[in-house]
Amino acid sequence: MALLAPYLLADGRLPVGAHTYSAGLEPAVAAGLTRAQIPALLRARLHTTVVTEAAATALALRAALRAPVDFAPVQEALAARTPTAPLREASAALGRGVHRLARRLDPDHPAVTALARIRPRPLRPVTLGALGAVLGVGEEELVHGVVYDELQTIASAALKLLPGDPLDSVAWIVAAEADAARTVTEALAVRTPAELPARTPPLTEQWALEHDRRERRLFLA
Amino acid sequence: MPDNASAQQPGQPAQGPNEHYHQPLNQPRALRIGVAGPVGTGKSSILATLCRELAGELSMAVVTNDIYTDEDARFLRSAGVLPTERIRAVETGACPHTAIRDDVSANLDAVEDLEEAYGPLDLVLIESGGDNLTATFSPALADAQLFSIDVAGGGDVARKGGPGITGADLLVINKTDLAPHVEVDVTAMVADAERARDGLPVLALSKHDPESIARLADWVRAVLVRHRSGTHVPTDPGPMAPHSHSHDGS
Repeated sequence: MALLAPYLLADGRLPVGAHTYSAGLEPAVAAGLTRAQIPALLRARLHTTVVTEAAATALALRAALRAPVDFAPVQEALAARTPTAPLREASAALGRGVHRLARRLDPDHPAVTALARIRPRPLRPVTLGALGAVLGVGEEELVHGVVYDELQTIASAALKLLPGDPLDSVAWIVAAEADAARTVTEALAVRTPAELPARTPPLTEQWALEHDRRERRLFLA
Repeated sequence: MPDNASAQQPGQPAQGPNEHYHQPLNQPRALRIGVAGPVGTGKSSILATLCRELAGELSMAVVTNDIYTDEDARFLRSAGVLPTERIRAVETGACPHTAIRDDVSANLDAVEDLEEAYGPLDLVLIESGGDNLTATFSPALADAQLFSIDVAGGGDVARKGGPGITGADLLVINKTDLAPHVEVDVTAMVADAERARDGLPVLALSKHDPESIARLADWVRAVLVRHRSGTHVPTDPGPMAPHSHSHDGS
């Protein structure tokens, strides 16, 4: 099993453009979310969008390890469960950074060449599946990375959007441990793209649509 | 696809097969010039000037980075110097410095999208978000960069140095028409800058001085000629480089 790769995937310094993303925090703040509500937002996302994203990532990794590699079923299942266009576009934009990294590391890997065939652009979980295959990461580690990244993305964006003691951000993440564990179990239990849960909270969708029309913003979504 | 083309271009990130990227094999991709410098030193104005001077002879596009995503883009669109759809703003997550150096993904995406939509392009100008003296472009994003300071920031800024001042391909000392009002000796400031830069060019610029504007445009044309002939090698001024000299081998 890869030693360093899981840490690379979980590192916010990985240069794949993730610093432009707030995982829904900026749209939520614009809609009135307060700093005190951030732990609740973390839990809410862990039980909704993150289950879908993490499960799709695991499905994509399994697809990446089969021959021939075919990402279409998971890409389509995920797109169908991401009804808001700005959220699909944000996922594709983030996926593009992951795709670029995977191409740099192993351009001829079958999972990487399969990414290039996907139209419209592959969504982030699909590209993470391919990158996981390139790096030799197991599906449990990869899903841990997706779940952790979501929490850290929101906690870090909070430093820009609802500033406070950075140590609070760490405490929020630690406090989300039990919920994160449930998310991982649920995501890994999904065996086929048809089973991918559609956990799309209406407010998340609404806020994303409003954010897309906003001019003075810091984050992609 | 452009694998062999990119292999010939230092500073360009590896381009694997990507059907979104229709760069002809026999033609180098657009020259990317970064425009950096502290807040208020005239970066957006320099971009507008370059578009005004060069858009008639070159196919151009612009990418802006800002704290709030599209302020600079809106300024440039309202200046009417380039078709508005050729001006893109990228989100930087309140980290415009990161977006041009440590993680250039969003900027590369914007440049690639512009090339795909309007290519072949000759020149893409990338404006940094107003940041401090240490913000410079990664060579993975910009082939060459100009750094802007202005006389109103004080005559000793050039002497203080910093990676952009000492290492950018061109240092612009902007707003020289204001010098009498802020009691700065432009000649001395240019001389200080030239000493700090060890032979790299310095340009005293004023939007009211057509001759200085012509020299700015000529610098871009000269870089483009070197880029096209394959003799231009992107150099990195570094993020926090101490005062250094090229003859030290540094």
